[in-house]
Amino acid sequence: MQPEALLQKEFAIQGGDFVNAGESSCMIRNTLREIGVDSDIVRRMAIAAYEAEMNVVMYALHGTMQISVYRDEILLTIADKGPGIQDIEMAMQPGFSTATEEMREMGFGAGMGLPNIKKNADVFNITSRVGNGTKLEIRIFLDGKKTRK
Amino acid sequence: MEKRPESSFIHSIKVDDATCIGCVACMKVCPTKAIRLRGGKAHINYERCIDCGGCLRICPHHAVVPVTTSPSDLNRFKYRIALPSPVVYSQFGSTVMPNEILTILTEIGFDHVYDEALVCEMASIAIEEYLDENKSPRPIISSTCPVVVRLIQRLFPTLCKNILPLEPPREIAAKNLRSEVTREKKIAPDEIGIIDITPCSARMVSICHPETMEKSNLDGAIPIKDIYNKVMLRLKRSMPMVMMQSQTRISGIGIGWAIEGGEIRGLKYTNSVSVSGVLNTIRLLQDVESGRLKNIEYLECLICPDGCIGGPLTVENRFIAKSNVLRLIRHFGGKKRVNVDMVKKLYRENFFSFKWAVEPKSFPPLDKDRNVAILKLKQKEELLKRLPGTDCGVCGAPDCKTLAEDIVRGESKIENCIYIKKKPSSEMKNTGDKK
Repeated sequence: MQPEALLQKEFAIQGGDFVNAGESSCMIRNTLREIGVDSDIVRRMAIAAYEAEMNVVMYALHGTMQISVYRDEILLTIADKGPGIQDIEMAMQPGFSTATEEMREMGFGAGMGLPNIKKNADVFNITSRVGNGTKLEIRIFLDGKKTRK
Repeated sequence: MEKRPESSFIHSIKVDDATCIGCVACMKVCPTKAIRLRGGKAHINYERCIDCGGCLRICPHHAVVPVTTSPSDLNRFKYRIALPSPVVYSQFGSTVMPNEILTILTEIGFDHVYDEALVCEMASIAIEEYLDENKSPRPIISSTCPVVVRLIQRLFPTLCKNILPLEPPREIAAKNLRSEVTREKKIAPDEIGIIDITPCSARMVSICHPETMEKSNLDGAIPIKDIYNKVMLRLKRSMPMVMMQSQTRISGIGIGWAIEGGEIRGLKYTNSVSVSGVLNTIRLLQDVESGRLKNIEYLECLICPDGCIGGPLTVENRFIAKSNVLRLIRHFGGKKRVNVDMVKKLYRENFFSFKWAVEPKSFPPLDKDRNVAILKLKQKEELLKRLPGTDCGVCGAPDCKTLAEDIVRGESKIENCIYIKKKPSSEMKNTGDKK
């Protein structure tokens, strides 16, 4: 079992709310910076958080994003209530997207969201149930706990 | 590129204690929360200041003053060259032409004058060369505004690698001038004083303390404000003048650099963006840092509103100045005045290049020890619940959040909050239930 987190924060994300999208990932970035996390790790976490937040905004009804700081790693969990993902393997392919025409016109739906999250994470886990929702787990190691794969 | 030796920042803005009445104006506008009121006077925390000049612009009592070169400092040079920012051309009305201003500058204490706009045009070519050769990272962010460079070092450390590693036009112009004048006039390089006629004090910082080279090619900066009266008087007397620099050598492309969009207007990379004003710049850089704007090739960020014409050391209202610049651009047209092949050759010889890369200088976290920092963050959040959230500034910090941060850093006390001081501890909760 994981030890208790040194710091834990939770943010609610509203599906379809493009106006406030990005605020939670911005707060995560500021928090990590305040506690002195290395700026490159902050950047990777901020990018992953933003992409994950946008996925909830674009596809789900609502979701929560939780950041937990442990002694040697940061864990970001995003769980949503939504349609879920039919074919995870397909969704992980760069360029694959189920975004609507309107979303693409807004500059989203390039099919790089999940691949980009995976690229920035040290450990990435995704589980999804169609008709129910999706859960992402993103871990980034601190202080060179393990070398990045 | 080499790494810069470690050093701290120096600054171009100070508070005159005798004039400061301790109002909250400057503290409220500071984008990096660098100002506090202590003992009824504004204090600038130079560790946080990025020299944006916001306080300079807003102070109703002129108590925030720029630190620049005074005309008497010029006496130590045998040969004095004025390098006016293109902004200077926009300050004296709609009918005055650049070469008239250049000529007047030689009559008020300078031996020689050089049109910086011409070098701005050269820089435009160099930017394209750089973008051609380097396809990542994106976007490349302009290095022209010294405040933007500092802002990135401080608030967006991971974007340091996106900064265009080429010196801005004023440095290139001065570098070129010194060798030219040394050669042609047989004057020793250290007897030549090259002085920037500047719209902002931030340039003074990049002159005294350059981030990307050992020593600036410039020897000082005089505010546009300080030469304004002398130039205006001469213009009003309208004496016939012998023109120094012929009109054909003035660059319309270069003059455009005085306003926002000047750097990107002529770029073949049309997927470029320009932004001005400190808050707009911060917002846009946040998006860049989130990886949202990778499709943009070049990003021109200027801290002053509408670009350098909005500088705190200018005289003309910036909307009139902008109109004057646009008129000059139309007048001189988009014709290239510089030899493109010559610029490309200089570019390949690294004439424009930084010696040192821009190094990140992030603000310190709440504590060096992460465990302590986390503890302090929790304390800060607890304090925030007790504070009223009205951001009145009476405690000496710009807002409640900053006061909470100052307290956990050990730099302030909760008793400084007048709301908390007034209430006995049992009632404190009532002031704190804003959420």
